[in-house]
Amino acid sequence: MIDAAGNSVGNGAAKRESVLQRRTSLTELLDLPTFTDLLKGFVELYKVGVKVFDESGAKLADFRVGNGDFCSYVFSFPEGRARCTATVARVKDGPLDAVQGARPLEGQDPGIPSSMFAVPCFTGLRYLVMPIRWEGDLLGRVIFGPFTPDDLAELPVSLTEIGRGFDAANAQGLLARIRRAPEGTVAKVMAHFAQLVETLVTAGQKTYLTSQLHIEATLETNRELEEQNRRLETMNARLKELDRLKSSFLATVSHKLRTPLTSIMGYSEMLSQGLAGPINDEQSEYVQTILDKSEALLKLISSILDISQIEAGKVRLTFEPVDIAEVIRSSLTSVAPQAQKRGIVLQLSVPERQIRGTADREKLRQTVVNLLANAVKFTPERGKVTIALTEIAGQPELKADGYRISVEDTGVGIPREHHDHIFQSFYQVDSSSTREFGGAGLGLSIVKSFVEGHGGCVSVQSEVGRGSRFTIVLPTTPPAPHSVEIAPPAKASADRNRF
Amino acid sequence: MKIELAPAGSDDSLAGSQAHLQLSQAQRELTVKVVYYGPGLSGKTTNLQMIHKKLQPEVRGRLLTVETRDDRTLFFDLLPVFFSTAGGYRVKVKLFTVPGQIIHNATRRVVLQGADAVAFIADSQRSATEDNNTYWKDLHEDMLENGLDPQEIPVVIQFNKRDLPDTKGEAEIEETRRRGKEPVISAVAIRGEGVLETLFAVLQLAYRQLDARSQLSKHIGLDERTFLTQIFSHVDLVGTNLQQEMSLDSPGMFNRSVGERK
Repeated sequence: MIDAAGNSVGNGAAKRESVLQRRTSLTELLDLPTFTDLLKGFVELYKVGVKVFDESGAKLADFRVGNGDFCSYVFSFPEGRARCTATVARVKDGPLDAVQGARPLEGQDPGIPSSMFAVPCFTGLRYLVMPIRWEGDLLGRVIFGPFTPDDLAELPVSLTEIGRGFDAANAQGLLARIRRAPEGTVAKVMAHFAQLVETLVTAGQKTYLTSQLHIEATLETNRELEEQNRRLETMNARLKELDRLKSSFLATVSHKLRTPLTSIMGYSEMLSQGLAGPINDEQSEYVQTILDKSEALLKLISSILDISQIEAGKVRLTFEPVDIAEVIRSSLTSVAPQAQKRGIVLQLSVPERQIRGTADREKLRQTVVNLLANAVKFTPERGKVTIALTEIAGQPELKADGYRISVEDTGVGIPREHHDHIFQSFYQVDSSSTREFGGAGLGLSIVKSFVEGHGGCVSVQSEVGRGSRFTIVLPTTPPAPHSVEIAPPAKASADRNRF
Repeated sequence: MKIELAPAGSDDSLAGSQAHLQLSQAQRELTVKVVYYGPGLSGKTTNLQMIHKKLQPEVRGRLLTVETRDDRTLFFDLLPVFFSTAGGYRVKVKLFTVPGQIIHNATRRVVLQGADAVAFIADSQRSATEDNNTYWKDLHEDMLENGLDPQEIPVVIQFNKRDLPDTKGEAEIEETRRRGKEPVISAVAIRGEGVLETLFAVLQLAYRQLDARSQLSKHIGLDERTFLTQIFSHVDLVGTNLQQEMSLDSPGMFNRSVGERK
């Protein structure tokens, strides 16, 4: 809304004025330099002067031809000067109708715009004047002349009377330099010129409106995008907060679950050791099952706790000199019972020389255990799991010296399309509820976080039905040599999971 | 709408009105903006082309179109219609179309800015019903985005392409008419049928809206009858149902509302 003073007084969204409603002027619509060139061509061709004024009376172009000396001579007489000034004022600023000294054109040529009219000069010369209109608006005026009408026989009294000493013969001589033509001919030339101006104005109007609208449309699109961005940012912040709450919830719950589980395991152990009195074989077997399942549950809870702490950015690696082969051997003992139970052969290959690196001993052990446990889990009975450690050498992936630990199995393998996702937390290659292999999908995610925390990397090679090989490449010395906080790992996204 | 008033003292009630007015002592001018809105290929440009053809050059300017290579409207079409009142006011009616293609959403909104009335060109084919509904909703959203009150800005609905097979029946069109206050006009724009009737209806409603808001008759001495006659006396009305009424010079015509006309 706009008040009387033109100020916006709208409450809420004010109605916006469109660029399409804006008035344009002749100067905005015409390219003046090319328009001037066009005029020049006209003047040279027809030898008639042309003047163009905009609606405010400002001169846009002025070409004279032939009349200079004649007009200067007339102007040199005071009365001539007065009459000349009056004529020029009438032509330039007077009303755009055949009034006040102007008259309609001679003859009724249908090709000539009716808005054109003639202004006779007191010298006998003549001007033709025509308004430039666009959509009913006056944009300016075109003036052709002065020219000598072909019917001018002798100099009129209004000229010869302007002063004593007026030399008619001299004036006649100067007049001869001015283009003599019938009024109808000049009118036709002017009508043609008017068509050209209209063409230019039409093109100018079109260009002006489209470019203005294009700008407005772009701004509008931009505004929409900014709004969308704002919405997305808000949503993103909300999701991040929810994610943080989830991690914090997982950490709390896992911690609370562990305490009673430890008691369950403690009491089961005491029962199986006969501390509460003798138990028979069947009872012993039951208690052992309770212990086994509790152990599995504890591992799962520990994994969830680990990953939630990693995701919350709460895990720190503490580096110390470590005998890598020793860590691997110790890891093997944790999976040995499981492997033995299923008849899986565990094979170890380490260099004879001691391999020493800087690492977080406990996290490295857990990394290797997770890889081994996975290998054992996904390998059928009487299969084979091989773990190998290399010598220290330059590692191209790290652009540093380091060693490689690979865990190879003869298991089910992982289809190619899953390779990119298996390191995301809670990702399962087989996510059906009836799947054969248990687990929460956290082991590899933890591996990746720990390995990357060491400045290393992990990769997988696998063929369905033949087996898999996981390789971790670790630098001899991590880039941050004392301790480091682990960055949260990538999440499995639901939409990439499903189809 | 833009009204520019000459005398400084005559703005007594205008400043306080709900209208969006610009007051200037320099120019005596009333600009009315009518936007042809609707789905792609429903015939908005065809409507303007027909109006351009039927209007005498004294009251209309050139039809300005900006098209893509495949003859689809890129930005808008513009047909100016103008006349001067006896009191010396210049009245300019600017007819715009919006580009119908979905991608030009932002352009549609920009073109709609400051509209005083809308002609909604719907495609009568049954297959276009969903598009019609989508663009109808878009129109209301775009109005709100532009600070226009959909309750306030008059809209006329044109059911175009009545000659094509598998179009909505008269009963269905009647149903559409019953569902809202907007006048509904059947048309075959390509043959010029219903085009002038739509223009008449939308201009009549535009005038009434502006008059209610800004008392045009009081402030610039322009009544509805003069407003419409100044334009439609320069229109080739042959074959329209406006012809009879205009030639009879029936005074009743201008007093009845468009919805009542048959």
